[in-house]
Order: sequence, then structure tokens, then C-alpha cells
Amino acid sequence: MWRGLWTLAAQAARGPRRLCTRRSSGAAAPGSGATIFALSSGQGRCGIAVIRTSGPSSGHALRILTAARDLPPARHASLRLLSDPRSGEPLDRALVLWFPGPRSFTGEDCVEFHVHGGPAVVSGVLQALGSVPGLRPAEAGEFTRRAFANGKLNLTEVEGLADLIHAETEAQRRQALRQLDGELGHLCRGWAETLTKALAHVEAYIDFGEDDNLEEGVLEQGGSTWWGRKTPISPQRLPSLSLFACLLSPTADIEVRALEVALGAHLRDARRGQRLRSGAHVVVTGPPNAGKSSLVNLLSRKPVSIVSPEPGTTRDVLETPVDLAGFPVLLSDTAGLREGVGPVEQEGVRRARERLEQADLILAMLDASDLASPSSCNFLATVVASVGAQSPSDSSQRLLLVLNKSDLLSPEGPGPRPDLPPHLLLSCLTGEGLDGLLEALRKELAAVCGDPSTGSPLLTRARHQHHLQGCLDALSHYKPSKDLALAAEALRVARGHLTRLTGGGGTEEILDIIFRDFCVGK
Amino acid sequence: MFYLRGCGRWVAASFTKQQFPLVRLSSDSAAPRTPHFDVIVIGGGHAGTEAATAAARCGSRTLLLTHRVDTIGQMSCNPSFGGIGKGHLMREVDALDGLCSRICDQSGVHYKVLNRRKGPAVWGLRAQIDRKLYKQNMQKEILNTPLLTVQEGAVEDLILTEPEPEHTGKCRVSGVVLVDGSTVYAESVILTTGTFLRGMIVIGLEMHPAGRLGDQPSIGLAQTLEKLGFVVGRLKTGTPPRIAKDSINFSILNKQTPDNPSVPFSFTNETVWIKPEDQLPCYLTYTNPRVDEIVLNNLHLNSHVKETTRGPRYCPSIESKVLRFPNRLHQVWLEPEGMDSDLIYPQGLSMTLPTELQEKMITCIRGLEKAKVIQPGYGVQYDYLDPRQITPSLETHLVQRLFFAGQINGTTGYEEAAAQGVIAGINASLRVSRKPPFVVSRTEGYIGVLIDDLTTLGTSEPYRMFTSRVEFRLSLRPDNADIRLTLRGYKDAGCVSQQRYEGACWMKSSLEEGISVLKSIEFSSSKWKNLIPEVSISTSRSLPVRALDVLKYEEVDMDSLAKAVPEPLKKYTKCRELAERLKIEATYESVLFHQLQEIKGVQQDEALQLPKDIDYLTIRDVSLSHEVREKLHFSRPQTIGAASRIPGVTPAAIINLLRFVKTTQQRQAAMNESPKTDQCLRNADRLQERQL
Repeated sequence: MWRGLWTLAAQAARGPRRLCTRRSSGAAAPGSGATIFALSSGQGRCGIAVIRTSGPSSGHALRILTAARDLPPARHASLRLLSDPRSGEPLDRALVLWFPGPRSFTGEDCVEFHVHGGPAVVSGVLQALGSVPGLRPAEAGEFTRRAFANGKLNLTEVEGLADLIHAETEAQRRQALRQLDGELGHLCRGWAETLTKALAHVEAYIDFGEDDNLEEGVLEQGGSTWWGRKTPISPQRLPSLSLFACLLSPTADIEVRALEVALGAHLRDARRGQRLRSGAHVVVTGPPNAGKSSLVNLLSRKPVSIVSPEPGTTRDVLETPVDLAGFPVLLSDTAGLREGVGPVEQEGVRRARERLEQADLILAMLDASDLASPSSCNFLATVVASVGAQSPSDSSQRLLLVLNKSDLLSPEGPGPRPDLPPHLLLSCLTGEGLDGLLEALRKELAAVCGDPSTGSPLLTRARHQHHLQGCLDALSHYKPSKDLALAAEALRVARGHLTRLTGGGGTEEILDIIFRDFCVGK
Repeated sequence: MFYLRGCGRWVAASFTKQQFPLVRLSSDSAAPRTPHFDVIVIGGGHAGTEAATAAARCGSRTLLLTHRVDTIGQMSCNPSFGGIGKGHLMREVDALDGLCSRICDQSGVHYKVLNRRKGPAVWGLRAQIDRKLYKQNMQKEILNTPLLTVQEGAVEDLILTEPEPEHTGKCRVSGVVLVDGSTVYAESVILTTGTFLRGMIVIGLEMHPAGRLGDQPSIGLAQTLEKLGFVVGRLKTGTPPRIAKDSINFSILNKQTPDNPSVPFSFTNETVWIKPEDQLPCYLTYTNPRVDEIVLNNLHLNSHVKETTRGPRYCPSIESKVLRFPNRLHQVWLEPEGMDSDLIYPQGLSMTLPTELQEKMITCIRGLEKAKVIQPGYGVQYDYLDPRQITPSLETHLVQRLFFAGQINGTTGYEEAAAQGVIAGINASLRVSRKPPFVVSRTEGYIGVLIDDLTTLGTSEPYRMFTSRVEFRLSLRPDNADIRLTLRGYKDAGCVSQQRYEGACWMKSSLEEGISVLKSIEFSSSKWKNLIPEVSISTSRSLPVRALDVLKYEEVDMDSLAKAVPEPLKKYTKCRELAERLKIEATYESVLFHQLQEIKGVQQDEALQLPKDIDYLTIRDVSLSHEVREKLHFSRPQTIGAASRIPGVTPAAIINLLRFVKTTQQRQAAMNESPKTDQCLRNADRLQERQL
């Protein structure tokens, strides 16, 4: 009976508004053991990356990727050439291990691919796995959950599972936010909106078209131009319903077909799509003129940001990839947080806050000589306190509080305020305290990056592709001319895939649109 | 108004094989003994009648208490049953041997299946019903139900006793007190009071207490429930005026004729009582700008519209339609109220304007220029109890053996009420015989979706069934309600007659056999094209095609298939229903396979029971945030599946709950091995609780 539990948390992870599981029914067969895959080594620089699968199709996937008729001997490392099943293109020469269930980590059939660690190879293998029918990217903590479900972990071992799932969910959420922050996100949300509206209109037509005098507005809402007249002709309930069915379908049809084209084009384009910003996201934030840009320049050892004594110099988010203590890091310099300045800087502040949401690690910066100022107090009360207030298990977002300009403090004078949370002293000017900061950063980054599968951008991209492809496949089943319930089902499945990427997706959302757009009533 | 409230008249009881506890009426008993029943049902509406008969079918000696026997089976609002989603519910009620579908097959005057062209999964069986006939047939059925006694009387209070220790709840109901002070005892009590809890009728600016036009509200009961700690909300609904039939000029209006042949609601009927040509038509007319004007000019005279109480977003009054969607023409369906009724029900004109303005508005509508309003439209405001306070078996968390069904739970509609009534009746009876509750999952039926939505999410507007609420819409169809529920109803609830059970078993095995035969017949596509020329099959396919796949084509049915391949398919065309159902199964076959996988997943989650006595606010073994604790505490989900559907319950919380369930299960398994320690442990647990 425990086999089903992963579906639950996966389902709950999809958001509280889901009334019931609408899983990616178009793709895998969930509930009864879809096969999952994930990158299970961390993001730190490494020679070898480990990709794992778990589930009944693991053996199948292994055979497909290695183009072999037989599976390698169980629990023995074998060297195999992996190639993309769609193109036949070789991906990597890798060690593969085959663990038939139940003697495996999760208790199910498992495969491990030990591939060379470059992002291109890892990404290639993940995408190849995603193209195998029955395989899908793992949800947060899903491997552990399956192990738990199959009795492979005892209750004490699973103690931290909820924390892990929470952390992974959060990390994946942030990673998804990063991906959705941009053109792709804009596209996805637009598609989801189109699809939700199309579905709402089809659902309205099913539920209310004949029963509730759905008024003629439905046609205009649907955008049908040549049926724009307001004459009180109502085909509902009349025998000539075919007329109405023909009228509704072109509009929904046109929108859905347009969506299909857009998705198809995007998917074909995806390989040379957006640049993956790999690595942990470290965001430097603080009130204006705390020395954030100085720190960014110091850490990246190059003049990334303009530094000036004038508050509000940095107005946009400036990001630079750096290598910190061996970990790949994307360092972002942001505008100083303050209210009531010009519109350009306000936009900068808005972007800074948005970036803060997406950060794995926050470097909160204050002017040590200016701790009593309103902007410092405000920053402490809002940003630092809100992240700090959460216990580590509540948030996997980490924060380091740095007090800059320690050179301005008089050596004998009283230290900074006693009520401050743990912090580091630094002087960007003299370099004093930099070693301490680097050591603290190393520890934090080890925690952020060492955790396998937490928001790996490669995996996120595999997820995106998987769901977009699932959406496209479902849309190809949309044939409104026939059974409308079947057509609606295709739209429901397609929308399910898109909302997995963008959030939302409950029944209420559909009903809200229906009751907003149509006068439904007896 | 003549009112028989509380007169304690035993109206009718039918006795068949078993002896009844009517001993209290027999004069030879020394002291007047208080009557004692297994189940008491309060209210004789659509929920009450189903609840009472379901309990009686399950073998419980049941008492139906109603204000007036002559209002049993009254259709207080629209003269129709069924529709899209609602028709599904009726099929499911019928699958559990409920009444309303069979009564509708005997009382309709205009049968029509909606959504005919949109696919059998969303067909909506619907009929205009003769109010008088429905009531007559319902009363006949009720008064002839074995084990069921009917009494007139208004309930003033509940009799409460110490709770049973093995169940949660702060007390237990053991009977009711009537207005005249007399008491009746029972093992379970079902409340189906509809809009009677502090009901208020509104016409224009006038408001007066009433459950329905002409009936007193229940105030004492509402106070009792509030005192017990039930969270009470307020909802509103409305009904249109009734118009004299002979004052309408039908000749200038659009006419709608019924289906030919009529499709019956009940699985047990092959046809309905009346021929299509004898059925009555409906007529369609429209509102106009003059109607908008009257509404807008008189808003100050309309307190129902001004009130903030939540009404439904759908089925709104003409006032809210005009306000929300101005400058539109709205449809008005003129529906017959019965074969020999002089009244017409203008569906779409629900309103609460002052009486004289109602007639003024009606007469500016086409065809109604000379219309006479016989009874004004009115609004009703009433109390409902937050349905998150009941379990999926419809028993309340607070009071043991007390069940709620119908509008009291915040639903609207006869069908929604009937569906809850059956479930409440079954469970009240099972509770008496100490059997496990009968819960329909949302993977099994619309009834399950309805009750799961109510008990886990609650509702803030009158809840109505829509097919869009149902995730597994293609699996939960009107045609297969018997396969889904009749077998379970027979085995788990005992509410289904032997005959119906055997019929459903036969149908199930015939369908399974038919599908496997259709799967086994395989020909090349060109051979199929030769056999059935009208099929639009592509002959370029090289793989053999199964007969089941050919049956998926719109232009193919079992008859044409059997003509092409007489052996072995001919025998499946003999039963029309079987042939039609095979066609439907074929249509959805590919999607159903996927849905079945999903359904299994959900059912696995729902098999994980959460302990009933868990106190989410104080429990220490589970690490949960305060917010999640409060949500779980209020809704008290019974399974992990239900918990995961509560908004705000996080995946991490679910894992923690799972861990807790697993620990509990292990502990219980250990206890079962050594029953003695079990008892000790339990006692120890209880002691600890007290100390806390």
C-alpha cells in the first residue's frame, strides 16, 4: 500500500489548489510506478556526474541508451557508449550500473549512469532519458520517498525526509522561478493562460451550454467574428445543436492549433535556446551605499560594477559567473533597497527584490558605521529577520550577514549593536576580514551545492522539455469535431503539463473564468 | 394556514415481515414507553426521503419526522430533475437503489437528454416533472417502504448522552425532542432540514421567517446546533414567480419538443411511463431592455439583492444577471409544472422584487404580455453548517451518530440533496450495526466528488455539481454508474435489492466478455474497409486493427460491426443497452487506460487512513506548522489523500503525516499480536491524555 505515497507528495507539491491528482497522464503511467530520473551528484565541479533512474522502465531505458539487446550484469560496473535514441548521436562513454529491484536503493529497478561531468554531456543524457516513453524527471525528494515507500529506509533514517523534501521543493521552486524569469517564463505563462481559457470555454459549453441557458455571449467570448450578432437565436436545447458545436470549435480550434505550432517551434529550438546559468545563485543585497558593488568586484576580482560614494549607483541587477572556493557561482549585484526614489531606481529595487526570491545564498550587507540609520534598521527588520526567522528546515535559503567598512570603526570603541544576529566584519577597502568571509562562503556553498538534485538547472530544463512535449502530445489528441468530452480531456491533460511549470491549475480557476465570462443561470 | 406541527399523528406505516416497535401505541403496556428506532430522519425533502428509505433498505427500523406528511416529496423550486452533472448524480443514486430516478420515470412530462452531441461521458439526463405526480408517487413509495414509519412533528431539540469511548466526538445523539415535548429515541439521527434552519423569506422589502413559502422555519434546532459548537454560515437562494398557463401566448414563442424515444433515469426501467407524443413541450422567450430598466429602477425596493449573504454565481436571479451582465437579452424557459397544472414555471426569472413589480416586469416580456402571476417569486436566506464539520460518511465530528444531508451542508439542488441522503441513510444504518462506513471515493462517482469537495474544502456559495469538477469524468459516466456503485452498494452497504444486484452483475460480465471478444477480433484495415465501407479507416496502416478500434469510429456501432462479423458479435446486439454501452466503452478505451492508472494512484493514497482521534493542535509526534495544524484540525481528513487536497497542507506535512501513520500502524500491528498489552497501552495513553 505504500507504493502510492510518492504520488501524494508529488501532487501536494504541485500546489494546494489542486483538487485532485491530474498528473501527466499523457506521458507516463503514474501512480503505479512511473520511472523517474535525476542528476544525483551535486553541482560542484567534478569529473564524474551520476545520473540515476528508478522504476520499472529503468532496464528498458538502459537498453535504449546503450543500444544493447541485453542488460549488463547486475551490480557490476560496465563501460558503455551512450547515444541519443532519437538521433543516434553518441553522448558519452560512461560507466553504467544495473541494480534490479528489490535489491537497490529505492527497492525498484535502478540504473546509474556515471558520465563525464560537463554540462553538455549531463544535459544530453538527461534529455535522452526524457525522450524514453514512461520516463519523467523526478520530483523533489522522490528517490528517497520511493525508498521509504518500499521499506528501504527505517523510520529514523527517514526522520529528515520532510525537511529534505521541503528544501528540495524550495530549491526547485527557486530554480523554476529563475527559468520562468525571462522569455521562456513569459511564453509558458502565456500558453498556460491560453489553454486555461480555451479549456474554461469548452467546459462552460459542456456544463452549461444546454442546461443553463448559456447565453449567446459564449460565442463572442470565443472570438468568433462572423457570429457577432446579438439576435436572440439560441441554438441551445434546439435540435440543431450541431450548428452550435461547429460554431464553438473553430475559435478554440484556432487557438489550440496556434499553440501547437508555437510549442512545436519552441521545442525544436530548445537546444540552442537560453544559456543555462549554472551554479549557485548568490545575491548581494543591502541598503544603498553599504558597499555591495565593492564586494562583488572584490569577489570576482574584476570591476563588474561601478563603485561610487553616491547612494543608488547600482540600478540594475548585474550578474557575473565566478568560481568561489571551487564552486560555480552566479554572483548578482543589486540595487540598494530603499523607498521613495526615482522611477528608474524603483524598478531597480523591484528587480533586486525579485532576484532575492531566487537566491540560494543571500549576502546581506550593512555599513558597520551606520547601523543605527533608518535604512539599516529597516533592512535588518525586513530582509534579515524574515530569512533568519525561518528555521533551517523551513527554508533552504541561506543568509550571511556582512558588516562592511570595519575600517571606519574605532578599534577601542564599542562593537556593533549587541542585538545583531551572527555576522562577519569586513572591510572591502583594506581587505580585512575577506579570508573569514571566504571561509564562511565555502561552508555555505558546500551545503547548497553538495545537495544532489536541488534545483539543478539541467534537470529543470529536462523537466521543461518533458512537460512541453507532454503538452504538445496531448494537444494533438484535441479533436473538437468528435466527442467533446474527449477533446476537453486532451486540453485538461495538456494544461496539467503546463501548470506543472507555471503553478496554479485547480478546478476553481476554470469555474472562475466561466462565471466571469458567461452569464450562467436559470 | 392549517398547520399540523407537532401533533404527533402517526400517519402511516407499512408492516411487512417484521414486527415494529409501535408497541408504545398498544394499550396493554403498563407505562407509556418511549418509542425507540434505529434511525430517525428529520425532514421529508429530497435528502430526507432518500435517507429514510436507504436506512430502511439497509435493515434499520427508521422513523421519518416531517412537518407535514403532505409535503413529502415536494419540489419546492424548479419542476425538473436532472441535467448535466445532476443527471450523473441521479444515475448513481439509482445505482444504490435510491428513489428519485424511479419516481422521475413515473412522473415526467418532458424527457430530454442534454449534451447529446458532446459525448456520452457528459450526457445529461433531464426531465420536466409533474409536481403533483412526483409527490404522489413519492408518498406512495415512502408509505410502502418496509421498516419505515412516518410521523408528523417538528423537532425542537436533540437528546444527547455520553460519547462512546471508542469514537471521537464530544457527545452522542440518542434521540429527539419534539415541539410538544414528547421524545423519540434512536441509535442514529439524520438532519435534512433544507432551508428551514432559521429560514427567512424575502419579497421586496418584506422579510418573514419561513422555511419555504407557507412553512415554519426551525429555530430551536438551529440554536441547539449553534450551542453545540457547530460553525454556522448563511446562504441565499431564490425562486421565480409562477404564471397562469392560460394567460400566456405560446403561439409566438419557440417550442421545444421532448426526445423520441425517451431515455429513462433508472437502470431498472427500459422506458418511461408516458409516450413521447403525449409529453408536454417547453417554450423559449427572452428578456428585453424594459426588464433591465425595471430591475435597475427598483433596486431600493429589493433587500435580497442588497444583502451581502452569498448566493450562487450560477443560477442567479434576474436582478443579478442584469447587474452583472447588463445590456443583454436573457433566456426565459417556460416550463410546464404538470399534466393538469394551470401553472407555468418561468425558468430564468428568479426574482425578489415586490409582488406588484413582478407582474409589471413579466408582462413586458414577449408572449407574457397578458400573463397573470399566481404566486410571486421570492428569496430564501437560511443557515447552513460548514460541511468541513462532517466526515465523508456525513456523520458530524462533534456529535456521534448525528448525520447531516442536503442543503444543510451548503449544497443546492434536488439531486445533490438526494445523493447525500442515500449516503447518510446507509451510514446511519451501518453505524447502528457497527459496520464500517460506506464512503464513495472521488474516483468512484460524482457522489464522491461532491462529498469530498464539501468535507475537505467546504463551500462559500451553494454548491452545485458540475462535470468540470470531476477529474475522472471519462470514467465516471452516467451509463456505468451501476458497475461502479451497485455491486459495492450490495456488498458493503446492503442497500441494493437482490434483483438489481443480479442485473448489474450480468451487465458487468457481459461487458467484460464483449470487450475481450472485440479485442480478440483482428483484421487488416483494408479488410475492415471491405466489410464496413462507411468506416473512414485509413487503409495505409499495416498493423492489424482490432474490432474494438473499429468500433471507436463515429460512424460504426455494434449493429454494423455485427453485420460485418456476425460470429461471434451478433449476440451482443440483442440487448440494446449492452450494445450501446460497448460502443461507449470503445469510444473511451484508450483514455480510460490512463485514467485507470491515475485512479489507482489516488486510491492508494486514500487507503492510507489517518487515525480519527488524532488531535492535530497538540500532537507532538508530528512536526507540523501551526497553520497546517489548524487546517487539519478543522477539516479532520480521514485519509492521506484527503489531507493532500486541503489547500495549504504542504508536501512536507504530508510526509510527516505519512510517517505518523506508519508508526501508528506498526504500533497497532504490535498490539494485535499481544492483545493484553494493547489494552494496557491504550489505558496508559488515555491516562497520559488526562494528565496533559
